[in-house]
Amino acid sequence: MTYGAWICLVSPLVATIVILLGGTTLTRRAAAWIATSSVFVSFGGAVTAFLGVHGAHVAQSPSCLSFGLHCNAQGELTTAWTWLASGHFKFGLELLVDPLSTVMMLIVSGVGGLIVLYSVGYMDGDNEERRYFAYIALFVFSMLMLVEGGNLLLLLVGWGLVGLSSYLLIGFWHERPSAVQAAKKAFVMNAFGDATMALGLFVLIAHTQSLSFGALGGVSGSTANWVALGLLGGAAAKSAQIPLQTWLPDAMEGPTPVSALIHAATMVTAGVYLIARTHVVFEQARTIELIAAGTGALTLLVAGLIALVQTDIKRVIAYSTMSQIGYMFLGAGVGAYANGMFHLMTHAFFKALLFMTAGLAIHALAGEQDIRKMRGLGRVMPITKWCFLAGALALVGIPPFSGFFSKDSIVAATGALGTWYGWVFWLCGIVGALLTGLYTFRLWFLVFPGEPSAFVREHHHRHGRWGEGPWTMLLPVAVLAVLATVGGWLQWAPLWHPFTDWLHYAAATAEGAEPSSTLEYATSAATVIAGLAGIAIAWAIYSERSVAIPKLPALQRVLENKFYFDAVYDRLFYAPAVAIAALLRTEVEEPVILQGGTDLGQTALDAGGIARRIQTGILRTYVFFIAAGAAALVLAFLIAK
Amino acid sequence: MPVLEREMSGPGTTWYVALAAFLFGIGALGVLIRRNPLIVLLSLELMLNGGNLALIAFSRHFANGAGQIFGLAVMAVAASEVCVGLGLVVAINRRKLALDVDRLSELRG
Amino acid sequence: MSATFLTTLLILLPVAGAIAIWLLPLSKYASGSLAVLVSLIEVGFWIEQASRFDFHRSGLQMSEQANWFGDLGITYHVGVYGFSVWLVGLTVVAMAACIGYGFWVGRDRPRAYFALMLLLTGATVGVFEAQDLIVFYAFFEAMLIPLYVLIGVWGGAKRMEATVKFVIYTMAGSLLMLAAIVVYGLHAGTFDLVDGPTSASRWLFLGFMVAFAIKAPLFPFHGWLPDSYREAPPEVTAVLSGVIAKAGLYGMLRIAIPLFPGPVNFYRPYVLGLAAIALVYGSLLAFRAPDFRGVVAYSSLAQSGLIAMGLFAGPSLGRDGAVLQMIAHGLVSTSLFLVAGIIERRTTTGEFALLGGMARGRPVLSTLLMTLGVISLAVPGSANFAGEFLILAGVFQRAWWWAATGAGAIVLAAMYMLRLISAVLHEARGTTVADEAMDVRPGELALLAPLVAGLILLSAWPAAVSHHSFVGNWPKQPSGTTLIP
Repeated sequence: MTYGAWICLVSPLVATIVILLGGTTLTRRAAAWIATSSVFVSFGGAVTAFLGVHGAHVAQSPSCLSFGLHCNAQGELTTAWTWLASGHFKFGLELLVDPLSTVMMLIVSGVGGLIVLYSVGYMDGDNEERRYFAYIALFVFSMLMLVEGGNLLLLLVGWGLVGLSSYLLIGFWHERPSAVQAAKKAFVMNAFGDATMALGLFVLIAHTQSLSFGALGGVSGSTANWVALGLLGGAAAKSAQIPLQTWLPDAMEGPTPVSALIHAATMVTAGVYLIARTHVVFEQARTIELIAAGTGALTLLVAGLIALVQTDIKRVIAYSTMSQIGYMFLGAGVGAYANGMFHLMTHAFFKALLFMTAGLAIHALAGEQDIRKMRGLGRVMPITKWCFLAGALALVGIPPFSGFFSKDSIVAATGALGTWYGWVFWLCGIVGALLTGLYTFRLWFLVFPGEPSAFVREHHHRHGRWGEGPWTMLLPVAVLAVLATVGGWLQWAPLWHPFTDWLHYAAATAEGAEPSSTLEYATSAATVIAGLAGIAIAWAIYSERSVAIPKLPALQRVLENKFYFDAVYDRLFYAPAVAIAALLRTEVEEPVILQGGTDLGQTALDAGGIARRIQTGILRTYVFFIAAGAAALVLAFLIAK
Repeated sequence: MPVLEREMSGPGTTWYVALAAFLFGIGALGVLIRRNPLIVLLSLELMLNGGNLALIAFSRHFANGAGQIFGLAVMAVAASEVCVGLGLVVAINRRKLALDVDRLSELRG
Repeated sequence: MSATFLTTLLILLPVAGAIAIWLLPLSKYASGSLAVLVSLIEVGFWIEQASRFDFHRSGLQMSEQANWFGDLGITYHVGVYGFSVWLVGLTVVAMAACIGYGFWVGRDRPRAYFALMLLLTGATVGVFEAQDLIVFYAFFEAMLIPLYVLIGVWGGAKRMEATVKFVIYTMAGSLLMLAAIVVYGLHAGTFDLVDGPTSASRWLFLGFMVAFAIKAPLFPFHGWLPDSYREAPPEVTAVLSGVIAKAGLYGMLRIAIPLFPGPVNFYRPYVLGLAAIALVYGSLLAFRAPDFRGVVAYSSLAQSGLIAMGLFAGPSLGRDGAVLQMIAHGLVSTSLFLVAGIIERRTTTGEFALLGGMARGRPVLSTLLMTLGVISLAVPGSANFAGEFLILAGVFQRAWWWAATGAGAIVLAAMYMLRLISAVLHEARGTTVADEAMDVRPGELALLAPLVAGLILLSAWPAAVSHHSFVGNWPKQPSGTTLIP
């Protein structure tokens, strides 16, 4: 099972290196297929690893024949070599193959493979296709490094590398200033997250002399709080949670498959994985864990609200991603790690699907992303329309689509806390479901139904055999549409829960986060009703136009300015940093440090100018001074004696 | 350091040293007052000889030969100095410059 | 270990090569080839040395000692520790690349140029191998002579100003160090670094530290840095920041810290403070620097601060991280300055305002610069990340705020490095970037590829350096303290 994990990890890296070194000797198509097949090989490795872990379960407890039973297999750690060492500190290049990491491996390489396949069609004809596929393979490698890393240092390595590949891909169209800016912003905010995470790890090293996942159990009290806070900083930055969320909408400057893969399905959800992976320390730091949950609740509301006023199709979906990750944080924060992970998985399916269908639309409309121009697209793109609808229903959480099964159990788990904040979280979850229905179907009603608008008629191009794109694009969309529909049937918390059981060893649900069946059913009913209400409102406003869009200019302005986070950060951090740097340059570096040396030299020259007056050139003065000096010396000796 | 004083015929060491100081003083005054480089060189020689005399007198006084060796070294130095000095004087003369040290002040800073 | 001769050979070979090139009436091409050949043989000898070195044994290895000034207790004593092997390796590899670059661009007055570059190699290797204070000082000063001429003759428009500043700064530091060496040696009765006793004198410690802080450089002793790095020819700047600066940090590692345990403890907060200021200050200035070399120059200042932090942090983490970071930063800044040279040759400038859009149609250049840039900003997984992580983990054990400052500076590093990358490669094409400006040529790639490959290897296995530099503690000093007031 461990060799599967290694194949899974290394295969995309090999693809990156081959494409990089191959350069122009490879055709663009060859590069694309090398990258795609490498990710599918990866998926094969992940399946092997998964079956291995499952087999180990079975071997360990013979009763553990199906996923439904309570299994207790431990993960296996496999070390290639000692990556970094100093004194008695040793951090190996080691992979952890356990239930949690295999699930993530499957999601990353599976959804990743589909999306890379999709980009074969999407990126066809771009000038720098080879570079794109090298980058995307690098991303898959980094993401797998993140989820497979067998200690916190390697996790941080993967963490940083996904940030790097995200930077490279957001800024892929590097001649667009906005893309370059967005890429830099994403990288710097993530670097901030990396830094806080590193600080958390330093605390851990100082107290346990180790960075293994096991060491996390060895801290408690304020130490645990600091470690958890550091990790939470990293998680919030990577997962675009308030207050580190501003980079994600801008990241939509990247090609659409990138948005689907990195900024929806995998990388941005890494924060949830991190919390699940390190839940031991979060359980020692309940306050921090609740802050995580609160962050999630706040983000899911704020992002849902902002999504209501966005006009760029990708940005709507991006805010929806933020909002859904808010749910996952909420779940992980209250201790329902498996529920959070389950939502991570279904979200990977339906959100990748939404992005890819949006990509089909953008592709067909020659790059247009403004939803106000797209009305009636469904008429000319039926496949896209139905696939999008499957994704949208999954997102809103309408049964039997996948989102229903995963989202409701998170909301139910918050209610199970039984405390006042538990019920606040619960309420946030329900309101969030309403917002989700509203913004998702606002998008739907604006884009797909009805007669094609003039813009659509004018700009629509047919691609491929079926008119909506080549098979490389349609096949992944179809597969994901199926997964988005049925992917949730894996678990319905009140009745059967194989997913939770599978993760039991790696991330057992915390005490008090296991809702009663009644609560589960009640919550399900409430969220579905809220979701349907949202859809109904959207229908009334955007389809029937029987209700006017509420006119609240103040609120509208706040939302359109994204709650002014960008402006505030600009004034609070960026502008002062620039000002301080400029001040140091003009007030310290130039006048003191650089001019100081010159001034010193000038002073020496001036002193020489004074001293040279003694040098008259007349022999007798010199002799006089010598004689006088000698006489003075003699005198001094006589006196001293 | 034990000082071995030996019997000396003639005047005592004091006289020699006094003479040496006198010679040195004359020489120094000559260097200070005279402007002709030739005379200045002569005066320098006087100073050096004053020093030499003192060296030899003390050498005799302390019965230590080192002083006399120093005296020889000083004479060698003096000889080479005169060579250079006279060479300079000749060179100045050839260029039709005034033989006046006060006017040879190119070294002014 | 029978390979003791390698230690001296590594010093003598480039010096002999320098003399040969200077004396023989060779053509431009022949003298360049000879210099490159000598520098490659030097690399070969270093590989031999490293392979014969026993990294699991503590203490000095491959040492040679010969009487020099017997009366004063001065001996020609050279040898290597684990960390010196790595620094010698950095020197010979970086110098080979830079000599190759000089050959590639065809520097005029080739015999003098190549002789000086080889002389510089020998002197720098000598600094890293010397085990006697006077020998160390001699090599430390010997580095200055070739640099003085290289900047002064082959530099840019304001080269004389830069040279004079550089020399006066370094000389001032060196003279303080010389005074400290003399006082130490006369009291200790020996100038030997291995046999010499430790000292408790704060003044002597400061004498050494000022010299090293100027060479490294640390804030506020970096007045020479911006001018020299801008005016020197790119390959000389590469050597300056990649290798020569490390000599200052090496001095702290080999002399200032092991010889003065008491003063180190006393001054630790101050040195850490200065190092932290250098780190933040350098990063901030790099963020506003208007040109390529300015960014890399100030980032070198910041990195020197970080490395000094690691050295003075104390326990093994910071120290091992510092050595790793010296090697990693040495390679990365050498490569970056060479890339600066490559860009300047194509566009005549390094000003960001005049550059941009070079990625389009120049895949090799953009891949190189991107790779070096992200390694330099210490993206997790890179050798620089490994070094910074160890340093900050070590310094965290002193006090959390040092590590927090360092972590903040890493965010700044991301900001300035991305700014550099974008300004050169991305967005609209700069006014000086002509369509026909070529991509990196195979010859240039051949110079840079080994450096980048070294960085990538080091990223895959940073423990190679971090775990093979020290066995046990610092280079051990005999106990017994000379109390010097």
